[in-house]
Amino acid sequence: MRIANSEMGTANSELTREQILKGLEPLGTNGDSKLLTHLNSCVHCGLCAESCLFYLATKDPRLTPARKVDLVASIYKRYHTFSGKYLPGLVGARNLDTATADEMVDLLFGSCTGCGRCTMHCSIGVDISYLVSVGRKMLSNMDLVPSTLQSTVKAAIDTGNNMAIPTADFVDTVKWMEEEMADEVGNPEASIPIDQPGKRILYTLNPREPKFYPLSISAMAKIFYMAGESWTLSTRMYDVTNYAFFSGNREEAGLIANRLWKEMEHLQCESLVLGECGHGTRAFRWESPNYLDRGVPFPVMSSVECIANYIREGKIRLDPEKITEKVTIHDPCNLVRNGGVIGAQRFILEQFVPDFIEMIPSGADNHCCGGGGGMLSMSEYNERRIGAGAIKAEQIRKTGAKIVVTPCHNCVDQLIQLNAAYKLDVKIQTMAEIVAEALII
Amino acid sequence: MPTMEIDGRHFEVDGDGFLTNPHIWNDDVAQLFARYDGIESMNDKHWAIVRIIRRNFEDKGMAPMIRTICQETGVKLREIYDLFPLGPARGACRVAGLPKPDGCV
Repeated sequence: MRIANSEMGTANSELTREQILKGLEPLGTNGDSKLLTHLNSCVHCGLCAESCLFYLATKDPRLTPARKVDLVASIYKRYHTFSGKYLPGLVGARNLDTATADEMVDLLFGSCTGCGRCTMHCSIGVDISYLVSVGRKMLSNMDLVPSTLQSTVKAAIDTGNNMAIPTADFVDTVKWMEEEMADEVGNPEASIPIDQPGKRILYTLNPREPKFYPLSISAMAKIFYMAGESWTLSTRMYDVTNYAFFSGNREEAGLIANRLWKEMEHLQCESLVLGECGHGTRAFRWESPNYLDRGVPFPVMSSVECIANYIREGKIRLDPEKITEKVTIHDPCNLVRNGGVIGAQRFILEQFVPDFIEMIPSGADNHCCGGGGGMLSMSEYNERRIGAGAIKAEQIRKTGAKIVVTPCHNCVDQLIQLNAAYKLDVKIQTMAEIVAEALII
Repeated sequence: MPTMEIDGRHFEVDGDGFLTNPHIWNDDVAQLFARYDGIESMNDKHWAIVRIIRRNFEDKGMAPMIRTICQETGVKLREIYDLFPLGPARGACRVAGLPKPDGCV
């Protein structure tokens, strides 16, 4: 889409002194050895450039991950080192002012999906995406989170789900999908349980499923039904997403994560199964103990691991003749590189997809789709997001696959757009959708 | 303010190409936006979907659930994804002149 845009990434007005002080708080290290180590270790070898899809798609040196590290480190130097305080120009120390904040918004929100590929490739192990998240936290403290991203966080906090879906509409949609599922399994009694306490599993969804793409709900319900699972959805808290993980506001991220935690306690379920959402899985499973200062006391797994277990335990069977087209898989960064779920999705597809091809690179080294990090919600970066997606589009094209499976609804949406923009002519599916198609009833 | 040009007409839009001012929307705008997305000519089903989205937006200030769209128009769920290749949000809601919905769309 060709859109003339002059407003990309600006703080718009002068920062107040209070804003600056709050913005500097995350750099007040108090002996935080992790932060100090990563802020002071970059040797500018430049290897990270080739790992970043924003650099690869544009060849713009401004977008290299090391520049993002330098930006945060230069502010740290200015306020926390002797040379930075007295000879800032000599050591590249920068004031936290409007120009610096504008650049931070543009580089840390507008040209980074937090995919972590640079971190994995860093020659000395600097956790670059951690430093980007520190920078985002500084911006969040200064109320400079792009409003387009913040409105998604606000919808989740105010209404209980990030698309502000009223409960009655949610229930109507689940009932509709229950009919669809019962029809497919040939049992009018087959149901999608809602708010039922004491079940083995509480299952969560991305709100875009009930709102616009409900077939993934009936697909997963069909899998649960065939596996004979004891499970339920919740009307009080079904939203697996946590956009505050992207905005850098730990309090809001903790508030959202705590709701899911409370709902597990409320419904007295044994395990939490997180729907196909990369960041949502990471934000709850791996990050929520950091937000909430306590470990998660119940088992948590992604739905991909849950489906793989059903196959291993012989609870579901899949028809190897059902899917005849060539299939590839897109690995969501937060689930795969940052979450370690690499084998489960491949194990599942091996069972019933005869013509499977990997992208190059794939698994932990896979390229981000370009829509992560909250990027999909930030309209002002649409063109850059679709531009960076050229790397993924080319990867897909080279496989010659007709179906791209990805266990992340956010990736699905970016891939739908890349499919149109780069004329890939592929079908994009979630894991539950392709598995449900091949289920032997 | 970002602008988008279609057939010589300029529209104020957000970065994703959604109309900034939903009130300037009319049937001509819908057709132009649809053509921009590769829908050469809107058929009765396209129009029925766009009208129900528009009505819901005017009554309730937001896009309807896809269930409402199917119920009110009689169009089958799977067919909606074929009619609007960019999906109900980036496809149909944009043609209907709504602001971009929040979330992973």
